Amino acid sequence: MPRPDGADSDEAAVPVPPGGSRSAAAPPLDAAPPSPPDMDALMAELRAKVQERTREGIYTGALDGSLAAHFRRLASAHEPRDLAPLWDKLRRLEDVGGLELGGVDLGSRLPGGPALHQTANRLLNRYIDNLKSVVSKVADLADAVADVAAELVEVVSDPMSHAHPELVGEVEAVVERLAEYESLPAGSPGAVAELARRVAALEAAESRRQFHPWFSNQRFEEEFRGAREELLERYRSLAGWFRGGPGTGPVLDIGCGRGELLEVMAELGIDARGVEMDEVLAAGCRSRGLHVSAGDGLAELARSEDGSLAGLVLVQVVEHLSAQQVLDLVLLAYDKVAPGGRVVVETVNPQSLYVYAHSFYLDPTHARPVHPAYLTFLFKEAGFSEVSIDWSSPPPATDMVLPPEAAPGNEREASNVDRLNRLLFAPQDYALVATRPATGPATRPATEPS
Amino acid sequence: MQLHQVLVSASHGDAVTNSALHVRALLRQLGESEIYSLHMEPSLAGEVLPLSALSSRPGRERRRDVIIYHASIGQQSVFELVASVPERLVVFYHNISPVDAFSSYDPGFAKLLSDGRRQLRDLAPRTTLAIALSQFSAADMEKMGYQNVKVVPLPVDLLPLATVEPHQPTLNHLVNATGHPVVLFVGQLLPHKRPDLLVEAAYVLANEVAPGATTVLVGASRLPSYRAVLERFVADLPGSGVWLTGHVPVAELAAFYTGADVFCTMSEHEGFCAPLIEATSFGLPVVARPFGAVPETLSGSGVLLPPDAGPRLVAEVLARVGGDVNLGSAIAGHQAEAMSRFTLEQSQKMLMVQLEPLLA
Repeated sequence: MPRPDGADSDEAAVPVPPGGSRSAAAPPLDAAPPSPPDMDALMAELRAKVQERTREGIYTGALDGSLAAHFRRLASAHEPRDLAPLWDKLRRLEDVGGLELGGVDLGSRLPGGPALHQTANRLLNRYIDNLKSVVSKVADLADAVADVAAELVEVVSDPMSHAHPELVGEVEAVVERLAEYESLPAGSPGAVAELARRVAALEAAESRRQFHPWFSNQRFEEEFRGAREELLERYRSLAGWFRGGPGTGPVLDIGCGRGELLEVMAELGIDARGVEMDEVLAAGCRSRGLHVSAGDGLAELARSEDGSLAGLVLVQVVEHLSAQQVLDLVLLAYDKVAPGGRVVVETVNPQSLYVYAHSFYLDPTHARPVHPAYLTFLFKEAGFSEVSIDWSSPPPATDMVLPPEAAPGNEREASNVDRLNRLLFAPQDYALVATRPATGPATRPATEPS
Repeated sequence: MQLHQVLVSASHGDAVTNSALHVRALLRQLGESEIYSLHMEPSLAGEVLPLSALSSRPGRERRRDVIIYHASIGQQSVFELVASVPERLVVFYHNISPVDAFSSYDPGFAKLLSDGRRQLRDLAPRTTLAIALSQFSAADMEKMGYQNVKVVPLPVDLLPLATVEPHQPTLNHLVNATGHPVVLFVGQLLPHKRPDLLVEAAYVLANEVAPGATTVLVGASRLPSYRAVLERFVADLPGSGVWLTGHVPVAELAAFYTGADVFCTMSEHEGFCAPLIEATSFGLPVVARPFGAVPETLSGSGVLLPPDAGPRLVAEVLARVGGDVNLGSAIAGHQAEAMSRFTLEQSQKMLMVQLEPLLA
């Protein structure tokens, strides 16, 4: 049954009701003043976290300062070149030299002296005129040379000015990425595993990013969810697994949707609460008195105290998760469920080909079906005992291939029809039920990835 | 006696124009009041009068009247006019962005800003009343030679955002299609608001801390050269989950405020910062740096980052505040209480108290 509650996120997601405002969540102004959160403590804690993660090499290397440096490079490529110093130098050239006319004193007491002086002065001025035109040409040349020289010096000293900024940017980006690779701790399996985990998380995030529905999850559920009575019947059978649990803490329902299972558990007197990614659905649950928070179920599970849950149930959730998230879920389940507590994981049965024709691809957020044998293997490997599979939702008999009339000689055909029906029309869902041993180790057995 | 206002430029959605319109609504209860502007959007013609009409007002009574000059940028002709009108002068200081941040991107714009500071300094001796939006801006005015500066918070009208139906496709997209937390910045993309630092943090957030997280920067950029650098920076950081929306209509803005998990500004200079009030009205926790009027407007609430916070710390803070619903609501609840005095009515009342002595 499709359940598009987006329960495939590993982030602390806080979806907001379409059309609804978060302001409704803010306390009214006339309410008693809330005690302000301790920001100094928060900041100190996160500073310590950054230092610790930096020490552990969790952050990608070569990041310190490189982002800011890259931005400065991009910004400087757009800065207009400062030509003021060049102009200053050129202006100083203008002040150099200059020749004045009329350099000979015309006054003389000698007879004919003034006339001689005038003649000498005229000759001198003619000389100076000629000289000035030569000097002016030399000065022009010097100006031009100085101009070109200044440009050249500037161009050579700053690669940005003669290389295309985009090209320089590309080279810088490549150099930065190379530096990141070089700074990786080579041969450290922990670092490689951490990188693989991060790539898986990014891929999961990317695949979600590519899906852009404009409808609401609530409308989708209304359209495709099964008949309520049929659902309640199934949920009663699932809830039965949590009767007489270890009696410590509640049963956690991850991806509780509209809360039908929580309602059934409440009827049976089982202490249960839920987490739902879709805030509209979560709010709907709360309005019916159910204990449901909005958020990412796996993150909520990770935050729970070890051994604090009487049980854990995920209905139609694991087919939304990435392969790595399924692995993480099983280990977390072992840690968080109290000894003797049960984990129930209900999902579509990939052994029923009918599922693919009818329900699996109806929900575009389904990532991959999880094979019951694989899931059984995971739970056993994680240390659970009594792992069993409970089949449910057989396809309607009217859809199955009809057996031949019972008649002698038809046995072979009847057997073929039977095989075909088992392959095509196996039960559509299965529930894996696993129990954490009552006397097992306090935390799960060592299961570090190889 | 009449009170009129003078702007350099009037356009829809502009904070200075909006506050002038709110002030005019208030002044019209007392009598005739107009807004005069040198430049204006054509659709505001009639609503706002051309500045040339100010000089042609009948002169006999003008000495008793009051001109409120909204100062946010330099403009020589407006300055000369304001400096020489016979009316008593009130300078309403919206703060002038720091010149240094702009000089490398747009020297012309930087010059307008430095002209604005010089002109404001020259107006100080003939100003009857100086009003600033924050203590931070008041201190700035005092540096420019003003005395006895009065602080009146920016009149922020939350009604349009609160009453508009949030744009449903945008909201659905934020809720269903983007990764969380959704970090929101609202403001013009200008160098002193440091969107580059937010992009850096977004890159670390989406790649290292909360895979798939989304950071939305809503706001226009009036500097094409700066926008180009920022866009290039975003393109160079794969998987940063940054979305530069440009200017958006109010219904889309409401959708962004509704769908976001945390509001963040890395700004280094704010005269008041109205988006902090808007974000709080939508129940969003605020993460900001302690510069300009930001700490004052937050009034001790919100999350103030250390001034030297690097992208990793900012990313961790955003992941925690945006990812923990209980913490986020506690912070936002505290903001709502601490900032409850910033209402449109309260601002108008405070402005009236300051104008009262001029009315006598």
